[in-house]
Amino acid sequence: MVDFSRVQKELVECNRDKGISGVSITLHGDDLSHLSGTITGPVGTPYEGGTFQIDIRLPDGYPFEPPKMQFLTKVWHPNISSQNGAICLDILKDQWSPALTLKTALLSLQALLSAPEPDDPQDAVVAQQYLREYQTFVGTARYWTETFAKRTTMGTEEKVKRACTWLPSSSSLTQFYLLGRLEINMETKEKTHDILTLNY
Amino acid sequence: MGDFMGSDDEYYSDPDYSDPLENDEEDLQWSTSSVSSSKVITKESLLEAQREDLRRVMDLLKLSEQHARTLLIHHRWDVETVFAVLVEKGKEQLFGEAGVTVVECKSYASPKSSSMVTCDICMDDIPAREVTSMDCGHCFCNTCWTEHFIVKINEGQSRRIRCMAHKCTAICDEEVIRNLVSARDADMAERFERFLLESYIEDNKRVKWCPSVPHCGNAIRVEDDEFCEVECACGLQFCFSCSSEAHSPCSCLMWELWIKKCRDESETVNWITVNTKPCPKCHKPVEKNGGCNLVSCICGQAFCWLCGGATGRDHTWSSISGHSCGRYKEEREKQAERAKRDLYRYMHYHNRYKAHTDSFKLETKLKETIQERISVLESRDSTLKDFSWLTNGLYRLFRSRRVLSYSYPFAFYMFGDDLFKDEMTLEVREIKQNLFEDQQQQLEANVEKLSKFVEEQFDQYPDEKVMEIRMQVINLTVITDKLCKKMYECIENDLLGSLQLATHNIAPYKSKGVERASELPVLRTNCSDSYLQSSSSRSASGGTVELGLSSSGSPNFESGCPSRKRAKREALGAALFDLNLPAEVIDKS
Ligand SMILES: [Zn+2]
Ligand SMILES: [Zn+2]
Ligand SMILES: [Zn+2]
Ligand SMILES: [Zn+2]
Ligand SMILES: [Zn+2]
Ligand SMILES: [Zn+2]
Ligand SMILES: [Zn+2]
Repeated sequence: MVDFSRVQKELVECNRDKGISGVSITLHGDDLSHLSGTITGPVGTPYEGGTFQIDIRLPDGYPFEPPKMQFLTKVWHPNISSQNGAICLDILKDQWSPALTLKTALLSLQALLSAPEPDDPQDAVVAQQYLREYQTFVGTARYWTETFAKRTTMGTEEKVKRACTWLPSSSSLTQFYLLGRLEINMETKEKTHDILTLNY
Repeated sequence: MGDFMGSDDEYYSDPDYSDPLENDEEDLQWSTSSVSSSKVITKESLLEAQREDLRRVMDLLKLSEQHARTLLIHHRWDVETVFAVLVEKGKEQLFGEAGVTVVECKSYASPKSSSMVTCDICMDDIPAREVTSMDCGHCFCNTCWTEHFIVKINEGQSRRIRCMAHKCTAICDEEVIRNLVSARDADMAERFERFLLESYIEDNKRVKWCPSVPHCGNAIRVEDDEFCEVECACGLQFCFSCSSEAHSPCSCLMWELWIKKCRDESETVNWITVNTKPCPKCHKPVEKNGGCNLVSCICGQAFCWLCGGATGRDHTWSSISGHSCGRYKEEREKQAERAKRDLYRYMHYHNRYKAHTDSFKLETKLKETIQERISVLESRDSTLKDFSWLTNGLYRLFRSRRVLSYSYPFAFYMFGDDLFKDEMTLEVREIKQNLFEDQQQQLEANVEKLSKFVEEQFDQYPDEKVMEIRMQVINLTVITDKLCKKMYECIENDLLGSLQLATHNIAPYKSKGVERASELPVLRTNCSDSYLQSSSSRSASGGTVELGLSSSGSPNFESGCPSRKRAKREALGAALFDLNLPAEVIDKS
């Protein structure tokens, strides 16, 4: 049974200083075991300016068992699945402590955006890119932030053009890569990998 | 030999011998229990088994029992490692790494019972008397602690429940867990107790559950060498190192590969399931009907089961050993396909392996037949009263057949390309193979001879002929034992000993058979020891400790062997086994 009295206190406490911390939690209807977290992308990273939605589900044993968190917003990061938003972070697994809170967990996610751990990856493709072609990684991460983590009215075509200006060399191949990655990603997962191998 | 004949009468008047049924099990005791260094740990003796280790650590480090346990669990119950870390890194680091926090005198922050404390977990204000501080100093309310403990016990982490504070590595106080959990859920408290006790088995490289199915409830502890074969009190013999059947002189890796290979091949090759062989003369299928590998067809043709080759009509054992069917010569023809050659090679070894395993299975039935024959002889008016030579011979036969059968998968890998291709030149390999196969053939020939004599229908023979057979059996019993020993020595020194890279540990050969683990005595004395006290106070407060199936899948102590059987086995004598003595003498001494 989730300790709802604690969850309610956590909500109040977390949202009190959301302007400063950059993290907040909102309710999903009246089900206290299904929440939604928001973190802002850390300044000075490819995620700067983005707002990331995180799906939070509390297991019956919460807070004695870790909350289940997953990115709803697509994000390009070695420790977050580019396919489904699954997160690889120790405090959400065996290093969870009941003394931690949803807020501390969200702050840890924010810290993870600033300091990826490519040696313990969730997304092997992203991690490889991070280690081998850091500049390409930065460009892609920025582009994903721009495309998925910002509320704009721009069309896809326009977004790709903008994204390409951030890249060291906006070759047509890169453009193709970004477009392909973006469009096909919307449809099937397999094709994404084809495009990726084509580009490496 | 004269000694054997002369001493017969002394062993004759054994009172127990008149009751072959009741005596059945003991008569066939092969190894004695009290000399063995391995121990059977039962549900009853599990506590006793860990006391010595706990005591040593408690005494040396002046620790409470639970801290000693935490240290031992962290170091997998290896007292020597605990001491080594102490010398190397000092007390502080030893304790820190294991999560042991020792406080000089427990000063529970006990403000007035009316004051309120905020618990950081539930974020509620709690009366100070309803909170608990761990040794690390972190303090939370009892409800939260209890919840935490239950989640961890359910996760199977009873042995290392850490403090709730983030990044605090301290292991929670056993006593606190016990008290808080039993107040909420008695069943859960029992599970915790059991997990804690079973850590001695689960987290200990010297202790393993007996792999019997259905499980006998026992675990086995070995003293020094993990590469050994043991027999549990339930009668199961197994390789301690890999928990599969006893397989020496095969190494664990060889055995694992062999089992897998047999499984894979049996799916595609149907010859394994063929239990008959065509007679070399009339080509009718002939079924094997005894343990012996010389079979005869109804047409009168005798042939060798191992290779299917014709042999002399009567049991001429020299011809079996003479035609050297244990030897396999690689096909020289270059055009022979590799795959075909590999399959034939495997079939060669597997056929022989299976022939001996099948014999072994049939010989188990033979035990009964022989008992019947002995009874017939006993009932007849004769000077022959002692038949221990027969039971000894029979057990030597069982033992040697096992060695022989596992020597084939050994040879398959030793002289094949799978494991040691790069470790030996082809020339060296051939020399070694010849050396080994020569020994294997000698052993095989003698085992078959022994099998033949043991199988004789001696109950229908006159006394003089029985005496003749007796001489042969005693002789062959000694010879096969020596040959087995020699084969193990050859494997260890000449074959595996010279290898550089691979390490293959083979359980040593024991003449007496696989060592039967002896039972740990359960002390029932009125002892002022803290452990017993705490365990008895425990049962008073939270119910008795029941050892059942734990969630991690460890076996159940409930289905233990009947204690009558255990007590009986324990009563066996302490004498070293001497093959030349009749079995009942060995059992009584
Ligand atoms: Zn609390
Ligand atoms: Zn602590
Ligand atoms: Zn057993
Ligand atoms: Zn083994
Ligand atoms: Zn025939
Ligand atoms: Zn025969
Ligand atoms: Zn043959």
